[in-house]
Order: sequence, then structure tokens, then C-alpha cells
Amino acid sequence: MRNISSVLGRLAKSISVSLVLLFAVTTAAQAQDAANGAALFKANACQSCHTLGRNGVGPDLLGLSERREMGWIVKWIHNPQGMIDAGDPIALELKGKYPTVMTPFASLSESDIADMVAYLDAEKVKAEEKKNSPAAAGAAASSDANTMMIIGLVALFVVAIAVIFALNRVTKTLERVIANNQAAIAEAQARHEEAGESNTAKFAQAFLKNKKLVFFVVLMVVGLLGAAGWNTMWNVGVHQGYKPVQPIKFSHQIHAGVNQIECQYCHGGAFKSKNASIPSANVCMNCHNTVTASDHYDGQTSPEIAKLYRAVDWDQETRTYGTNTRPIEWVRIHNLPDFAYFNHSQHVVVAGVECQTCHGPIQDMEEVYQYSPLTMKWCVDCHKETEVNKDNAYYDQLIEAHEKLKKGEKMTAAMIGGLECGKCHY
Amino acid sequence: MESNKKYWKGLEELNQTPAFVEGSKGEFAESIPVEDVLNEAGLSTKTPRRDFLKALGFGLGAVTLAACNRTPIHKAVPYVIKPEEITPGIPNFYASSFNGQSVIVRTREGRPISLEANPNAVGLNQGTDASTSASVLDLYDMSKLQAPQIGGKDVSWAQLDKAVVDALNKAQAAGKQITIVSDTVNSPSTLAAIAALAAKYPATQHVQVDAVSYSGIIEANRASFGKAVIPSYHFDNAQVVVSVAADFLGSWLAGEEHTQDYIKNRDHKSLKGGKMSRHIQFESGLSMTGSNADVRAAIKPSEEGAVLIGLYNAITGSSIAGGTTNAKATTILKLAAAELVKARGAAVVVAGSNDINTQVLVNAINSALGAYGSIIDLDNYSKQYQGSDAAFQQFLTAAKAGQVGVAFFLNSNPVYNYFKAEDAKAAIAKVDYTVSFADRADETASELKAIAPNCTFLEAWGDASAKEGLFTIIQPTINPVFNTRQAEQSLLTWAGVNKSIHDFVKETWETTILAGTGKAWKDVLQQGFVYKGSTTGSAYASNADVNAAAAAIVNDSKRVSGGVELKLYESTTLRDGRYANNAYLQELPDPVSKVTWDNYAAINPVDAEELGVKETGKVTVEANGYKVDLPVILQPGQARGTVSVAVGYGRTKVGKAGNEVGVNAYPFASLVNGTIQLSAKATVSKASGIYELAQTQTHHTIEGRNIVRETSFAKYLKDPNSESGRFADTHQTYDLWNKFEQPGHRWVMAIDLNACTGCGSCIVACNVENNIPVVGRDEVRRRREMHWLRIDRYYTLENGEASLTKEKEIAKADGMDYESVTVVHQPMLCQHCEHAPCETVCPVLATVHSSEGLNHMAYNRCFGTRYCANNCPYKVRRFNWFNYWNDSRFDNYLNNEFTQLVLNPDVTTRSRGVMEKCSMCIQRIQAGKLQAKIENRKVKDGDIKMACQAACSANAIIFGDANDPESEVSKALRNERVYYVLEEINVQPNIGYMTKVRNTFEA
Repeated sequence: MRNISSVLGRLAKSISVSLVLLFAVTTAAQAQDAANGAALFKANACQSCHTLGRNGVGPDLLGLSERREMGWIVKWIHNPQGMIDAGDPIALELKGKYPTVMTPFASLSESDIADMVAYLDAEKVKAEEKKNSPAAAGAAASSDANTMMIIGLVALFVVAIAVIFALNRVTKTLERVIANNQAAIAEAQARHEEAGESNTAKFAQAFLKNKKLVFFVVLMVVGLLGAAGWNTMWNVGVHQGYKPVQPIKFSHQIHAGVNQIECQYCHGGAFKSKNASIPSANVCMNCHNTVTASDHYDGQTSPEIAKLYRAVDWDQETRTYGTNTRPIEWVRIHNLPDFAYFNHSQHVVVAGVECQTCHGPIQDMEEVYQYSPLTMKWCVDCHKETEVNKDNAYYDQLIEAHEKLKKGEKMTAAMIGGLECGKCHY
Repeated sequence: MESNKKYWKGLEELNQTPAFVEGSKGEFAESIPVEDVLNEAGLSTKTPRRDFLKALGFGLGAVTLAACNRTPIHKAVPYVIKPEEITPGIPNFYASSFNGQSVIVRTREGRPISLEANPNAVGLNQGTDASTSASVLDLYDMSKLQAPQIGGKDVSWAQLDKAVVDALNKAQAAGKQITIVSDTVNSPSTLAAIAALAAKYPATQHVQVDAVSYSGIIEANRASFGKAVIPSYHFDNAQVVVSVAADFLGSWLAGEEHTQDYIKNRDHKSLKGGKMSRHIQFESGLSMTGSNADVRAAIKPSEEGAVLIGLYNAITGSSIAGGTTNAKATTILKLAAAELVKARGAAVVVAGSNDINTQVLVNAINSALGAYGSIIDLDNYSKQYQGSDAAFQQFLTAAKAGQVGVAFFLNSNPVYNYFKAEDAKAAIAKVDYTVSFADRADETASELKAIAPNCTFLEAWGDASAKEGLFTIIQPTINPVFNTRQAEQSLLTWAGVNKSIHDFVKETWETTILAGTGKAWKDVLQQGFVYKGSTTGSAYASNADVNAAAAAIVNDSKRVSGGVELKLYESTTLRDGRYANNAYLQELPDPVSKVTWDNYAAINPVDAEELGVKETGKVTVEANGYKVDLPVILQPGQARGTVSVAVGYGRTKVGKAGNEVGVNAYPFASLVNGTIQLSAKATVSKASGIYELAQTQTHHTIEGRNIVRETSFAKYLKDPNSESGRFADTHQTYDLWNKFEQPGHRWVMAIDLNACTGCGSCIVACNVENNIPVVGRDEVRRRREMHWLRIDRYYTLENGEASLTKEKEIAKADGMDYESVTVVHQPMLCQHCEHAPCETVCPVLATVHSSEGLNHMAYNRCFGTRYCANNCPYKVRRFNWFNYWNDSRFDNYLNNEFTQLVLNPDVTTRSRGVMEKCSMCIQRIQAGKLQAKIENRKVKDGDIKMACQAACSANAIIFGDANDPESEVSKALRNERVYYVLEEINVQPNIGYMTKVRNTFEA
């Protein structure tokens, strides 16, 4: 349902944006290109500090043209620090409110900046329209999940009542018919039953007579049950595909897939330690103190990111951390038994195994699930095949010995003791 | 050449008592009632079959249900804000110190899990004692207080502070004395905190008193040299050591540091150079030090003075009248004196007595021997024991007179360990306000008005100075776990100094200690210590009146002599009783008697026979008006007419593990001539009842097989191979199995029997590293102790000049006095045999061999047939009879959620029904290899250290890769002395032992 609503939401938004743009393009006196402004706004990553509709790292830019002179804006964008140093009163006030001084964008031409201001004006109009008359911005815009569901429910209710009513009528009619033709119905029923019974009996008798067929069927059933049982037993404790509901709907697809963030940025432990380690919330905050995904949530902070803020007790308005932190209780997906020792760094650093080899196409996973069976057979199969990274000086001695023994054959993890019990169980 | 010496672990083995023979037959002490269940009658009657079917049905149903469970939900909770230095899964190391030794604390995810010696430190730097290794468990001790208390009720710190400050002000106003009673405090910061209190309240006094007192030595040095200190000893400079009742390798002063130095003249490297020191011991009970002596004479406590007077006479040529000693001791005394004189300048005499006069005489002897300077260092003196018995007496007098307004007790427990506990109690009751800093409501603290619980050293800032010029830092590795506050912080608060303890310690260091060293506070935190002393001391000459001292000694010996003589001693495992609630230490077998979880009266077997007591018997010991029943142990080597009892037991308010373990022996002590004396005249009589001590000595018996090799130094010099009895040199061996290549590593170990003193710190280190459970007294009695590493202690009999060797002669040993025994300590652990007998009998391949020469044990494969244990010739496999870490029967030891935090996360805890054994710290091997691979290099020798090896201050355990010809272990194993235990059965063990060499007179 949520998917549908978000799709609808997006659809509505794009419609309204194009409507507004159309309106802007046709009515704008200064022929400024708000579309170009929007593109520039995105390209220069302005939104990472300036959230429209709310103050962030930098101030809310809606209504900028009303607050500031165009010349001032251009000067400020080209050299903010210079203006602070020059003692410009507005610049100093801004510095007081927002300690992080803005990055200069000297390459933006005056017309570019004018475009961006036009875009901001258009956004302002849109925001106001939405605020004043939620319905006026287009019925589609407000037809989110709730309305849809309510309409659907009402319709369902009406249909149900109609059906009940119709069925009631049918029952009554039938009862009348039965009362009228009791005897005829009884006769017809008896006839029908006889015919049916004899058919089934005949078939059963024929089947039972054919001993071979019976034996074959029984054998097949036993075989099938046995195979199913065997299969089930083998898969006891194997949780391949396990996809628990996580406290935060974190998407690897967005982070690792779309945004191409390196795995080790968050899971640094995989390169140093036995634990890949789930990143602590402060790592998330490196980006998410600015990235709020508000463009997907109508200017609001994503509810999932808000959960992160609750965990670290981050106040978005004041941009400060509180002390009332609450750790995020993720649900472990990959559960190795306690008696098996596994070390990430051994595999990732020494052997150079890709994360995806065991964890699957993580960059495509909206929700992470257990890709590999994590059975011992699965480990062993890989150890039998995987060639050792012979460049590592650690193996010099072993390689020397093995080359003497068998020229030209590959050296696998198994050959250097990778299958021995104590390598994983201690 | 085959040794024909007979080694035995206990008298029951020597005499082949029926109980011993029976017990050694089976694999387990108690037979398993398999026959009762499986006999024909059992199955043919109706009920068992129906029961069987019921059980079967239930079992099937239960298994089916269990198999249907869904994926269990495991929470994974990351840090909210991860500390920068922590990477989950990787240990962090912090320099700290324990009992003045600089150590490195290993922490995982912010919790301390083990301690090792700081290898760069001054003093003891290659090993720790057992209590150091075990100390991490104290952090997780649930018997500790979790908040401050007034009158036994929890209060807030603010309330406590107010009450204490009020009391202090009242005392100040009334002009009464304020006293801090503590054990030895050598920490500069603690002293500074006390000074801060004294600055606010000038009537503050600091009284230091040690449970086991060394004030006799301090006073003697004041008399002899005008320097009231305890010297530090450098046994590495001594070629002849004579000890009169000093357990200097164990509990006497800095035992482990002495071991480290002493062994340097006796280990394989020294022997390779053709050098070995000679150690002669005179003592009554067989101490750990005595068990390592080359020559040992059993004497009564009253004869200690006579021995020293005899030595003095022989060395200086004077003829002071002294007592007499027994014939054997007299012979040895003469030989010892000659040795000492011959080695003048490299010879030392130490005495364990706390009597001033005795120590004055010892000073005179050492002065005559020229031991001051190189061996005995009075300049860089020891500060570990500064307690003064006299000062404590003054406190008691003042307190009884009502002159004390407030008394603080810091690491001091006189109600338990002062010999007249009632006296101490009465004195305390007269003090207006009393506060203890104890971490638990112990015997003294529970008598006091308030308790301000102290932190453990793992939670505190602090420092120590075990030796003049040596300063070690204590830095916290975890926040205080309970609502406790370290004593120094409390003192500062009450003194009105508003400073955090970190700032205070830092300031103390920066202003006093670091001045002029060119080091900064950060260097100290990283290195752990600063040493400002020199490496040698200067010479001193004794100028006390020896004649008067000797006369006093002779006079004092009459106090003890006549009748049975009682000697109290500090046990090497539990020490003075402060660690009584540490389950690891309680279960560590005594190095000599191999008794766990109890103290006992050790008497000579001949005396026992005369008294009519046998093993499991009890005796009543009475001395100094104190009478108590003790279980008896028939101790070979014990002097006739003496009884030895360990102090440190019988605590009543220490916690779940230590309460009521053994009997308190402190009341046997007495105050003589201003110092506490540990010997007394006693009467010993047979008591009724039987008591079975949990003694491990005959568990895992090796059935008289020839596994100990021993030679004399003289023989060794002639032929380094002597007595090593190497089978491979004389026999052709055949293999049932195909040879296999071991091209990578081949992990092996060399154990030097001449270096091992049997102290047992390796056992505790192994327990901590490998999550080995404590099983408790009852389970030890059933031979179910879980120690992966044990130290077998073997006795051999000596009769006069020649040792009794042949079996026949031993049979004739009835007339012996059992005073002359020699001892060999043999650490025994999984030998990681190349042809391991355990591997071939495992039906499920749970134990298999690795290409690196290790015998692996896969716990999850094991289903507990125990065939392997049956087939192991070394008896090193242990079976888990219970889920020790998760079974309410073991609540007193380690089974609670909190104590489980001490577990090493790299090692599995084993569940009930599986076998386990030494894994050769495979987690450390794997970690070392991985580190090398990550750094793209080979494993360097010394990268990987076993837990036992790291704890061994004698360097008796050497581990490494035999495929690296230059590794320490390869070199050690090329030694002529190396032999393999039970080599003749061709199991090809990977652990080589080096013969014990004894530097005896007669050879």
C-alpha cells in the first residue's frame, strides 16, 4: 500500500511540478529559466545544506528574493568568507546563526544565479499553494493512500450490502420453490446419488484389484514423503533467505547500489577484525546530519532517518546532540553457531574475497536477506576451490614446498589445511 | 640409559593401597551404572520397556518440535557512538600494574579479559604469578558491594560523604586522633591523597600493617645498617643460595621476580654454558621452594636459629654458642657453609623468619659473604611490605583508650587476619566512627559503621612503587561496574579537594615522579612505568651485635621447642587470604600437596602413623590457646615432630566461593618481641571424623611408567645426554601410518623441567585464556577438574647418601622417616602427538590431526564416547560432565551473567557431554598467522605466545615453529637434554621435555 501511495505521490508531484513550471514559464516576466535553476541547484548539491522549507546547516532559501538584493546574493555566493571578513552586517548575522561558512561557488555566473533564484521563487509559490489549499494543487496530489483506502472501503461496504441483499432474495425464492416441489426433489436426489456412488465404487474396486498399481502408488507416496522429510531434515537450522524485519528500513540498494558507497565505509571491521561490525550510529550521522531524503517526503525528514535521529538524540532544529541516546537494536541476519569461528579480515583482506561472494547482490537488496546457506558444506566447497593468493609473503614457504611436490597444480585453501577442524572450531 | 629411579605422586601410589589401585584402573573415579540400566532383567521386565517407549516417544516428539523452530531472533546492537580506538573483534591493550608489577591488560569491546607481564618493564617482566592472572575475575565478582553502605544499608555517596565529614570534624573538634589503617601503601598517589586528608585534619595518622608481616626484616636492617627497609634480591647474581625456611620462589617477598632471576642460573641456556647454581634449603614443611632445592634438610622451626648460627660460625670462623640440629642437617650445614665460602661474592643466605634477631644474624652472614651490592640491594630496596607490627599495636592501644575519633580501613582486615581478632574487634568498637574501603562487607567491614566500597585496579586510576625508583601506573580499563568509588577519590572528597582522581594522579606524576625524567604523562600511559633507580646497589657492612642476637635466638627457640612444633605459612595460591573469593585460585592445586579448596595440617607420615591417623583423617591442633580440627595430609618431606598449616583460609564473609573454605590459622600466631611470629609450640591429637580433601595428586596417574628423567649436574657436565634416555637414539621405529608433509608450520613446545618450579601460574593463565570452568570441591574429589594443563609433582625417596632407586628397595623403605624426599615438577598437557592414539579411536572424527602438527578438537562433532580419554597415554583429556557455565549447581563459581563477562570471546565454551583438552591456544596461533598474512609477511618467531608461556616467569615453556630452524624452540629442542615422554610407544609427541638436573653434593 505504501508503495502505491508513494508512486501516486511521486506521480502527483511530477504533475504538479510540470503544471507549476508550465505556469512559471508562461507567466514569468524576466524569462528566467527555473528548470535550469533547479538543475543547477541539484548539480551544485545546494540541497545538502539548504533544506527548502526549513533551516538546516544553512538557512531555508524559500523567499530568498524577498529577503535579499540580487547583487548581494551574487556576491555572497561568489565569496561568502570575503563578505564576512569585509564586515557585511547580513553576512555577520548569518555567521552567528550558522557557524559553518558556506562553500564559495565562484564559477556560477550571474544568470545562473538568477535562474536558481527563479527556481526558488517557483518553489515558494508551490509551497504556498500547497499550504493554502491542499486540494487546489490538484486532486491527484492529495489522493494518497488514506483517501484511496477510505473510498475503497466505502465501495466495498456498499457492494457487500448489495450482495447480502441479493443473496437473501435468492434464498427466499429457493425456499419457496422447495416448499412447492418437495416430492419431486427427493426422487431426483435419490436417483443422482445411486449413479454417483456406483461410479466411485467401481473405480475404487478396479484400483484395488490392480495390486501392482497399488504397490506402485504406495511406493511413490512413501518415496515422496521420504524425500520431502529428508530434505526438511537437511535444512533444519539452515536459514537461507532469512529476511527479518529490521527496526529501520535501511536500504542497501540506495546506499551501496545507487550511491555507490564503499562497503568498508560502514563495515570497516571486515577489513581489520573478525567482525564486519554493524556501523555505530555516529557513522550514519556523518552523512545523515545533512542528508534527510526530504525530497522524497515532501520536504519532511524521512521517517526512517528520523529513527536514526532518535537513536542518537539529534535535534534537527538546533543541530545538536542530546544525551538521551537509544541504541538501534538490529536483528542479526547471519547467525553462525558459537562453535564456528569466522574471521572477516582473513577472507576480505588476505583472500580478497568480494563481499558479494557470500552476501549476494547486496547493492540490489532493498532489504537484506541471508543469501548463502552458511552451512559447513558451503564453506568447505569454497575452500576446496579457492586458490590461495600466492603473492602473500606468508605463503612463500608453503608454495616452495608445494611446487616441489606437484608442478603446475593449483594450491587451494584445503591443501594448506583449510579444511582442518581446528581452523574454525575452537 | 634407562632411569631406574622410582617416582610417585603420593603415598597411596608408593604403597599401592587398594583404593589407589582400584581408582587408577578405571578411566573415571566413579563407575558409570551402565550395567544396571542395560542388563537383561532391566529390559525384560514390563515397566522399563514401557518407560523406554515413553521416553522414545517423548524424545521423538521433542526433537520434532525442536526441529520446527523458526530462525531464532538474535539482536545485534552496535554502539551509538563507537569509541575511536575500539574495533569490535580486536583486542586493545593498556599498560597498568598489579601488586606493583607492570602489566598489560587485554580488553575486548571495552571489558578486560586477561593480564600479561609488560615485557619491557623493570623487575618481573616475563610472567606473572597466579593471582595476577586470576585478578580479572575479581572485577566480575558478584559478592562485592554495589553501593556505599552505612550500618549495612545502601546509601548514596552524598549521604556517606556527609556522615564521614561530620565524623571527621567531630574528631577534630574533640582533639581525637584520625587513623588510616592499611596494608602496605607504596602508591605515590594514594600517599598524596592521605597527605591531603592530613593537611585538612592534622590529627591524621597512617598505620601500615601486613597480614603476613615482614617487619622483622625492616627492624633488623635498621639495627644492622641504619636503614629500615626490605632489600630487593637479585638471585641471578647468586651461584649458591641457602634458604632457611624462606619460600623465596613462592610467597616470600617478590616470589615470581625471584623465580625469574633464580632460574637464569639453572635453565637450559645456563646449562648449555656449563653453569648451574646450587640451592640448599632448610625448612620444616615442604615448600615450593624446598621442592626445587638441590639439597634439602628437614629441620624443626626451633632449629632455624641454630642452622643460621652454625652457618655464621662456619663462615666467619667464630664460635658463638647456638642450638643443635639433627644429624643430617648438620652434615648439610657444613657442606653448605663450605659452598658459601667458596662462592663468596656470589652467595646469599635468606631466612623466612620475622624475628628481628634472626634477621640481624642473616644480615651479618650476608655481610660476611659480600652479598650486599650485587645480590642484596639496599639502595633500590623493595617497598612491597612496609607494615609495622609495632605501629598497629600502638593503634590498638590508642583505640582501646578511646583516643581515636575516626578510623579508616584500607585493604585491611584485622578482624580476620590479626591473631587476636577479639582484641581488634574490641578496639574498633571503642572508635567513634569507623569506615572501611573494602569492596565487600568482609569480616572487618561488617563490624564498622560505614563502607565506602573501593574499585578494583581495573576500574581505577592509580600507581604503585614496588621498588625504590620504580613507579608503575594503574589506568582504568573499564568504568566502575558498580556504584563504587576508588578510595583515593573518597579521601580527596573528604579532604575537601575538589579534583577528579585522574587529574590528581596526573598532577602527582607530573610534579614529583616525572620531574627530570624527560618523560611526559602520555609516555607513562603508553609504557606503563618509569624507573629512576640503578641496576646495582652499593655494598653495606652489618654492624649489629651478633652475639646478643644469637643469644636471643637461642632463648627464643625454647618458646617453640619441646613437643610438636607448629609452623604457619602463606600458601602460594591463596596468599594471605585476600583472594579467597577467587574461584580460579581456590581450584589451583597447591604446588606441593596438590590440595584444592582447603587448608590442612601437614604432618610427616611416620608421625601420622604414631598418632594413628591416616589420609582422610582429622587432627586437633592446639597452640597459643587456639584449638581447631583440621583435615590431615601425610606430607613426605615434612620434618618429624612438626605440623604446617596455611593461613589465608577459613574466611567467613568474603563471598560465595570463599566462605568457609578451610580453617582460619591466623589465631595460631603470636606477638613476640614486637613482631608477629608464625611458629609455636603445639599439641596435635587425633580427632574424630573423616574428611576427604579435594586433592588432585593421584588423578590422571601415569601408572609408574618412566616419564621423568633426572640427572645430576656432575653427570650432566660429563655427558649432557645423561639420563635423558632417548629412545630414538637406540631403537629403530616403525610407522603404521603414511608419512605426511608438514610444509607450513609445525607447532611444537619445549618444557624445561629444570626451570619449572611448579608454581601453577600457567594453569590459571590457561584457565583464563581458554574459558576453563571451575568445578568446585565436590567435583574435584570425583576427579573431574577441568584444567587443560596440570603440573604433576613426583616424589622420590632419598635414604642417606644414596637415593632409593630400585623397586625392591622401596618396598623395604618401611623404616624410613620420609623426611628426605626430592621432588620433580612436570607440567603435563596435550602432547599433540603426531600419531595420536586418541584420534584413531574417535568414532566421529571429532579429534583429528592438522598439517601443522596440532591435535584438533571439534567440540560440535564430539558426542562424548570418551574413547579418546581412555586411549590417551598422558591422561590430558577432560570431559564436561555439566554445563559448568550455565548450571545452577555452579552458581558459587562462575555461573552468573555478570561473571560470564570474563570469558574470552575467541574461545567456545564447551557444553555438557563433550571432551576438551589443550588446543595449544589455537586462537592465538590463528590470530598470529592472520596478522602475518594481513601484513604480507611470514610469521616471526615470538609473534605467537601461548597463554601458559606468557605467564611463566621461569621461561620453562618455549613454544614455536619447528619448521623454522632458527626459532627459539628449535634451538631448545636440539638440546641434548631433550626427551619425549613415553617416546617408546611411538606416538611421536610434539612436546619435548628437558631432563631435570640436580646440583647435588655427592655426585
